[in-house]
Amino acid sequence: MKSSGSYRSVHWITDRSIAVAVAMLIFVVPQMVVGSDVDFRRDIRPILSDKCFQCHGPDAERESDLRLDLAESVLAQRDGVAAVVPHDVQRSLLYQRITSEDVDDRMPPVDSGKSLTPHEIDLLRQWIEQGAEWAGHWSFEKLSSPEIPPGDTDWSRNTIDRFVSQRLSEAGLTPSPAVDRRTFIRRLSFDLLGLPPMPSDVDAFVCDERPDAVERLVDRYLSSPAFGERWGRVWLDLARYTDTTAEWLNSTGQAWLYRDWVVRAMNEDMPYDHFVRLQLAADAMPDVAIEDLPALGFLGLSPTYWKELRLSPDVIKRVVADEWDERIDTVSRTFLGLTVSCARCHDHKFDPISSEDYYALAGVFASSQFADRPLLPEAEAKHVMQAREQVHELEAQRDKLKRDDTEGRQAIEQQIAEIRKSTLHFDAVSAHVMQDSSIYVVADGPDLTKLEYREGEARDLPKFERGNPASDGPVVERRFLTALSSEEPRRLQHGSGRLDLADALFSEARGLTARVIVNRIWEQHFGKGLVRTPSDFGSQGDPPSHPELLDHLAAELIRHDWSLKRLHREIVLSSTYRQSSVADGEGQAVDPANRLLWRMNRRRLEVEMLRDAMLAATEQLDRCQGGPAFDLQDTSQRRRTLYGQIARRDLDRVLRLFDFPEPTSHAPHRVQTTTPLQQLFLLNAPFVQQQAESLALSVSNIASEQEFVRACYRQLFHRDPDEAELAEGVAFLSTEGDRIATSTDYVHALLGLNEFLYID
Amino acid sequence: MTGHRDFDQLAVQSRRSMLRALGGGMGSVALADVLASDSNVVAAELSHVRHRAKRVIQLFMNGGPFQCDLFDPKPLLEKYAGQRPPAADLRTERKTAGLMPSPFRFEPRGESGVPVSELLPHLSTCIDDICVLRSVHTENPNHGPALLLMNNGTILPTRPSMGAWMSYGLGTENQSLPSYVVLCPGRPVRFSILWTSSFLPAEHQGTYINHSETAPEKLIPFLRNETRSVEAQRRQLDLMSRLNQRHLEQRADDQQLEGRIRSMETAFRMQFAATEAFDLNQESKSVREEYGESHFSNGCLLARRLVERGVRFVQVYYGNGQPWDTHNKHNESARKLCLDADRPMAALLKDLKRRGLLDDTLVVWGGEFGRTPTTEITEGAGSGRDHNHHGFTMWMAGGGVRGGMTYGETDDFGFKAVENPVPLPDLHATILHLLGLDHERLTYRYAGRDFRLTDVSGRVLDEIIA
Repeated sequence: MKSSGSYRSVHWITDRSIAVAVAMLIFVVPQMVVGSDVDFRRDIRPILSDKCFQCHGPDAERESDLRLDLAESVLAQRDGVAAVVPHDVQRSLLYQRITSEDVDDRMPPVDSGKSLTPHEIDLLRQWIEQGAEWAGHWSFEKLSSPEIPPGDTDWSRNTIDRFVSQRLSEAGLTPSPAVDRRTFIRRLSFDLLGLPPMPSDVDAFVCDERPDAVERLVDRYLSSPAFGERWGRVWLDLARYTDTTAEWLNSTGQAWLYRDWVVRAMNEDMPYDHFVRLQLAADAMPDVAIEDLPALGFLGLSPTYWKELRLSPDVIKRVVADEWDERIDTVSRTFLGLTVSCARCHDHKFDPISSEDYYALAGVFASSQFADRPLLPEAEAKHVMQAREQVHELEAQRDKLKRDDTEGRQAIEQQIAEIRKSTLHFDAVSAHVMQDSSIYVVADGPDLTKLEYREGEARDLPKFERGNPASDGPVVERRFLTALSSEEPRRLQHGSGRLDLADALFSEARGLTARVIVNRIWEQHFGKGLVRTPSDFGSQGDPPSHPELLDHLAAELIRHDWSLKRLHREIVLSSTYRQSSVADGEGQAVDPANRLLWRMNRRRLEVEMLRDAMLAATEQLDRCQGGPAFDLQDTSQRRRTLYGQIARRDLDRVLRLFDFPEPTSHAPHRVQTTTPLQQLFLLNAPFVQQQAESLALSVSNIASEQEFVRACYRQLFHRDPDEAELAEGVAFLSTEGDRIATSTDYVHALLGLNEFLYID
Repeated sequence: MTGHRDFDQLAVQSRRSMLRALGGGMGSVALADVLASDSNVVAAELSHVRHRAKRVIQLFMNGGPFQCDLFDPKPLLEKYAGQRPPAADLRTERKTAGLMPSPFRFEPRGESGVPVSELLPHLSTCIDDICVLRSVHTENPNHGPALLLMNNGTILPTRPSMGAWMSYGLGTENQSLPSYVVLCPGRPVRFSILWTSSFLPAEHQGTYINHSETAPEKLIPFLRNETRSVEAQRRQLDLMSRLNQRHLEQRADDQQLEGRIRSMETAFRMQFAATEAFDLNQESKSVREEYGESHFSNGCLLARRLVERGVRFVQVYYGNGQPWDTHNKHNESARKLCLDADRPMAALLKDLKRRGLLDDTLVVWGGEFGRTPTTEITEGAGSGRDHNHHGFTMWMAGGGVRGGMTYGETDDFGFKAVENPVPLPDLHATILHLLGLDHERLTYRYAGRDFRLTDVSGRVLDEIIA
């Protein structure tokens, strides 16, 4: 064996047993605190969930009577024996089985690949000896009203800080120092606006000696129209927003109306509950303004899958069921952080979500169809929709005519022209909306299939056995999830049930709904969520690093009428948020993943921020808001990247290079990669070169190279260069050759620096 | 100045104090390495065991091919056709019905006489170089999780991929190309998480290339700069490198910043190296013909060109989505897929051999799982096969593996691995071993724990090593 001293980074541990024991010890204790008491949620439930629920979990078809996800079942006597007898490992069958010498008797079965580690067995033993205390899965519990801990009162600015500093001091850590004002304004500006600060704003902020300078800046940013552009995009990732829908839909809807609605809602600080209700059920709500109808694009722009009507109804039923599944997946993950679509074929293996729950929700989507709604008062809109339907039918007739039937063709064209002419607002802009209408897949003769729509009618679906639409089980009435209902689940019975569903999110499920959105916003500000699986709050998800803080913020959100801007304000005004992002010292040794928030996480600009920052830095950015999307390949375009076209099946290559999420399904968050291909974009893309050139030209009248370098640093980095940077710049610029080309090369290099790409 | 007293307090730590922060992950040490050697090879030449393989090509039949059509003949399927004897009553993702025989004939091939299906006439001529693993099994019959298990060793999307571990353990042989390249004419399910570096340094992640177009500048967007000379660009890079280094020094150890610095250098060199490496037109007509013309042919040929140039690990995904996922009309699809895949696979093995590369290049073939010998009943009126994770075939060739042998057996119906079963950690351990890496010692300290690809298990399959 050869081992080189310079590769200390590879940690050898030759004694395998130690390695395993150490690894396990750390692994099952995601939080830093290793106390003497076993905590059910922290220590025990994850073991049961990972190693036992597969066969002893919520799935009604599990192999055993025993359920290890329910206290009743765990403690119940079966033939005089109970799985767990508190304080008594000897009489606890569970413990006997997991420690059995007999391989055939041992649980989990040896061939399941789920064998328990010695440490896990020990934790279970301790748990039983300490009384086998039980607790439900954290995210399904009602919001607690945690006491605000004392925390570090000198450091704390608000309650967030008290929760955070309390945990830090328990772990023997101290917060990182606060950043300077230049770093702060850049961080805040990207966070709230998705844009770099204007150089003049930086100077003004740095010199602002008023005691509330920071609050003023935060409030100014929160009321900037750019705020909605930045935070609207965050929402659009969850909503798998696309500018183009499938061509076979022949839709006349304008997707951007939904995008612009989201931006406006964010800017107006529309209460989150109202924001969600409109997106699920604006068509069913009383007194909804016409401008709010595009909210339905959340569902109205859902992906559709091709239904080849020459195939049998059973095949098409599955395609249609796949679409419902996509809606359930997006709705449950976006709003509830639950993976309900796992229950399509069988009860959820890990979370208390049954197949019945699944089909109870699927009925809602089986009763809702897409529509293109002209943004007109209802009566006029109906009229236009009818006229369009007629035209659509005529066009279909026309297309069936023989090629040489010019006469027939002309006659139909004539009719179409008349309808268009006689219908006022025929070409009115239309939004992608939803309407109550149920779909049925039926045979159309022996060889074909057709889709039947029953407008205004809802339908309850049968439970499809094993997810197979050809094998109907009993019909399940539309209703909300059982696990989130304290009583009989709410029936989703008005129309399709979408509005009832939205109501349920904000009554029986509101604790979870609030936690999920709080965590998403937290994640955007810190780079990581308190829960690191933002769309899975189930038992396979990550438990929160600061459960009390999460509950506190969720309760505060509800108490303040679901105002998201208030939550943003609270977060960015905290001392926690002001910390430096430098990762070293004690914190790095104890908590390298920064779960305890002893520092800020350094983040890379997202692709929108990167392109926008280049345009802003060179003062090319066109701040005009809203309207149809532009083609991102067109390098003459100067609008914010938010307005670039998102094509669901053909994502723009630059978006793709920089980790833009696939708009084919809900994206919990962006996964960041660093690849040479990204750097090729920065080195070679004509767009980047153009930006460099335009900045070089705009400061080219500056006489000295030193001044040129200073101007560039102020414009791009909001600071003066230090001596070395100045010298580097001057040396680079003082070469023979075309001056514009050299200065363009210089600016181009600066645009590619880490300092430009990362937020400290 | 009361409102912001605590601003402006951030003292820049000296480099020495940063480097003192040992034990907090390897970042600080890596920084030292970077500063000392200016090398992007974090752990090159790392070698725990005597080894043969220096690089790996994985031909990934995403979707999951059916083992009994190709390498694992099961005559009893005929006898029990339509029936569901207890041994065939295994649970998979969807419900399946009775056994459905494979219509494809087998012959013993090569000197070794290992049976190969008529679907693979070309590949069967290479069988003496191939070790057929008939008893691979995994834990999950869903594509996403199974792809993650095969690539990342776990269903958690938070661990480094096998290719990232290889790159981390071995570094690159060619500083001008990424050490780990993923080729797919489209996108496999779960996409970039399958080649993530996760907590390993970012430069070890796979570089994904959609090779549905083959002109180098189309394969790789922005590969060339239309207006700047190479010299002008080099000057820019040098400036950036110095300024980035200062920036890094002021920010302690940051994997992402370091990774990006190196990534920028790789990008610069890639412009020239990649243009050449990805240019299939440089191949002779006879070689092009031998491989064929399909996307997969091009993928195999590109893989050879890349490993020849020192890329450590090239994964060739067969196609977009999950082309081998034959829930419907399985036999027709299998015939079509094999017709396309057979020729380039054989061409690749022969080509590597001719060039003397097969000795130290390991070729791994397989899907994320196999398929059921029973019929799928939810779709396609009983013409399809469901996912089967209980037992399936993979093969390896070259790189120190014994050819012309089979290892392990499935049951009478080819459903479940029963003899010498090979769980994925064993497969991973063996691949790493062939590369000279001890899977128990290729670890990385993260969040207080030493992580490894095989987690807590894995056995090297000594029986298949030449």
